Formats: sequence, C-alpha cells, structure tokens
Amino acid sequence: MSNVRDYMVRTMNSVTPEDSIRKAIILMYRSEQSVLPVVDNQNLFVGTIYSNNILKNIIPESFGFLDSSRLFYEVNEAVENLKYVKDEKVEKYMSRNRDAVKEDSDMKKLADIMLNNKESLLFVINENGFLRGFIERSNLLHYLLDEAGNGKAD
Amino acid sequence: MITTVTLNPAIDREYFVDKNEVMKNQFIYNDQDLKIYPGGKGLISAINFKSLGYKDVQNIGFVGGKQGLFFEKMVQKQDIISNYIYTESEIRNNVKIIGRDPATYTQYNDYTYRVEKEDVKELIVRFKRSISESNCILISGSVPEGVDFDIYQRLIKIAKDKGKHVFLQASGEALKLALESNPDVVTPYFKHHKTILDMEMNDKEDYIKAGKEIQKRGAKRVMIPFHCDRLLFDRNGDVYQLSPKGYCIVNWLGSSDAYNTGYLDYAFKTDDFDFLEANRRGGAAALWIAENKEIYLKDRENYNACLDRLEINKLEV
Repeated sequence: MSNVRDYMVRTMNSVTPEDSIRKAIILMYRSEQSVLPVVDNQNLFVGTIYSNNILKNIIPESFGFLDSSRLFYEVNEAVENLKYVKDEKVEKYMSRNRDAVKEDSDMKKLADIMLNNKESLLFVINENGFLRGFIERSNLLHYLLDEAGNGKAD
Repeated sequence: MITTVTLNPAIDREYFVDKNEVMKNQFIYNDQDLKIYPGGKGLISAINFKSLGYKDVQNIGFVGGKQGLFFEKMVQKQDIISNYIYTESEIRNNVKIIGRDPATYTQYNDYTYRVEKEDVKELIVRFKRSISESNCILISGSVPEGVDFDIYQRLIKIAKDKGKHVFLQASGEALKLALESNPDVVTPYFKHHKTILDMEMNDKEDYIKAGKEIQKRGAKRVMIPFHCDRLLFDRNGDVYQLSPKGYCIVNWLGSSDAYNTGYLDYAFKTDDFDFLEANRRGGAAALWIAENKEIYLKDRENYNACLDRLEINKLEV
C-alpha cells in the first residue's frame, strides 16, 4: 500500500493568521506557490490562503469576467485596493477549511478526495495536526503511473 | 523531529577531470565525473539522520533566487522537510575541480550570498514556531552577509527558553556571541579562523585553554578538533583526547557533520548518556566518512565497524 508520505513534497513553507497579506504575496512569488498553508504559532495547520482569494478581494466586481476594454481600469483598481489590503491580516482572507490529508493516508483515498473536491493541491499533516508539506495532482499522477506498472519514477 | 539549521547553504558542484590544467578547455561527457549536491553543514547532518532512519528531519535557513528553489528540490529529494526563508539574492555555488593525475583539488568558494534584515526577522519568527516538535536543535555552519553575528545567540536563546537541547558548531564572532545563550554542546571549527575566541591555536595547551574558556563562557560540553584528534571537555571539568588509530584519510568533506550526527544519534537512542561513548560514536562516523569517498553516512553498521580504532585518553590538566 502506498501512502501520501511516499509521494508528498516536504516543506514547512507557511504563513500565520497574524501575518500580513503583503508577506503572503511575497512568499507566494518567491516560492512559486499560489496556495499557502496557514499555521498557528506551534506549526499546527489551521487553514489555507489562496492567491485567488486575494485577487477576488482586490478586483471584487468583475473577477473572471474581464474583457480587454475594462482590463486597464480593473488593474488600476486592483493596485489601489491592494494598497489597503496588503497590510491586512491573512486571517481575514484565509479559508479555515481543514481539508488536509494525513501523511499516512492511503494514496487511493487521496485520489478520491482530490478528484471529488476538485482540489489541485492538499496540505499534508501528521497524526497530531502539524504541517508536513503538500501533495498535488502531479504527485497523484506520479503514483498512478507507478500503479500502472512503470515502476517508481525515481 | 530533528531540527537542523543552515543559514548559508550552497550548491556544491564537483568536476572530475584527468588533469586540471590552467588555460585548457575541459570536456565532461560522463555523468560520474560531475556531481551536484546541496551543501551546508546542518543540511549534511540532516541527510545523515534520514539515512539512519529518523522519520522527520527538518532543515531551517535561507535559500535565494531560482537556484535556491533548485537547492530546495534537491533537499526535498532526500526526504528532508525544507523550511526556508526565500530571499531575493541567489544562493552560493561552490565549484571544486578534482584532477586525477596528478591528484589536485581546486576549490572556488562563493561568498556572495546576501540576506536582507527583513528576511532575518522572518527567520526568527519561523524558527520560533517550527521547533515546537523538536527536542534537539543542531545549529551549524557559517553566517551569510547581511546577518548579524548575534544570530546564533538569538536562535539558541529561543530554543533554550522552550527547553530544547542545542548543539552548536560555529566559528569566529558568531561562536563568541552564541556562548552567552548557553548552548549544551559546542564544537568550534576553523575554516576561516586560526583562532578560537580570539586566541591563537598553536599547541595543545592553547586548545585546552580555549575549551575551558568556552565552558566558562556558557557551554556545558565542548569538543575541539585537534589535527585528526578531538579534545573533549566534559561538564565536570575532565578533559580527554580522542584519537583514531591506523587510518587513511581520503576525504575530509562531511566528516565533521558525520561526527555531529554520530554523537547526537547516540544521545537520542540512550537513556543513560555517556559523553565519552557519544564521542566514540561521533568519531567512528567521522572516520568512516574520512576513509570513504562519501559525504553522507549510510547506516550505523558501517561506521560502528570503526569503533575499535578509536582510543580515548584522559588528559592531566
């Protein structure tokens, strides 16, 4: 049986609810991750901050419906809004969902969760709820490829 | 969980050539002749701990730029939990050219990495919350530009306030300041300095004086490299000398990290800690690395085979 532990990415890259949105954005672009885990001051997983959530809040009306004629105006509006939002706390924009998977979960179960929830990435925690990393669809595909009989990719 | 700290990581690149000649183009076609691996003192110990079967080992520190992300991928591939503050500037690349005939070793060490004050502040915050699961913190290596020399002192204070055990391997000013936070075990190193606590190290007496002074300034136990030996300073004031016998050194790289790993591995596994036994394990691990062309430990059986070749004698001081 393969576990999440066998395919996950191990990283503690994270923010806390008390961190600013500015800090979250910097961390997102430097680490090239558009979703970050939110942890408390003991490193216990408490939620998720999505770049989409930040964007939706700075382009509130028309996100997803931008057309080229309005784009310039919308971008300017986003910049203006971000001037206020950047100093606000992550806790205001995070999702307090607990959709993390445990590192000893069966990969078959993970496939279920990922496909049913349409999540492209899930954070991984240990049995006590401490952050351990994340697992994404490419890792799931890696597992499926191994199951298909091609052997471990690495 | 074991926590290791590496503030000044590097991508180490080793090129093996038949003959290293100046002004001559070299071509490398065999991947055996090109090795790229993540370097940094705390990290090498972290990889060793994974090889010894520890489930969760994290490495905390800075990485920078696109090369930093590449470095992180290499760390994750070793199943180490990466816990890095991402900086704007690129991390270091150390290049080593190894010639076979004649045997030559040329190193180009990169010390260009720079960390901003805001990143240091973030490291402190991250460190505070990331050590909650660890009983022991291994802090090892140099400090990058932009980071004040009191960084180890600050990290150790945080760890000690939380009741953690701290093992420190440092040099120069960073070592001097760190002692004020009372690390449990200290092992100085001499990469850039021929001094310890500003004292010149010439003969054995100087080393003994330095070890005593490190203890006086706050460390409980001290181990000082003394040529191929180690001088051991127990917390009760006793001083010992650990010496390997009948050895043939082919590689230095990774031996001090192996020593730290062997020492701590023993400490983690025993309920009845014996300082001399911990150093014998450390010495055996270092000896195994020094006699093999390996940087990382493979398993305990390998290095425990070297235990018989270590001798410890009490010194009259």
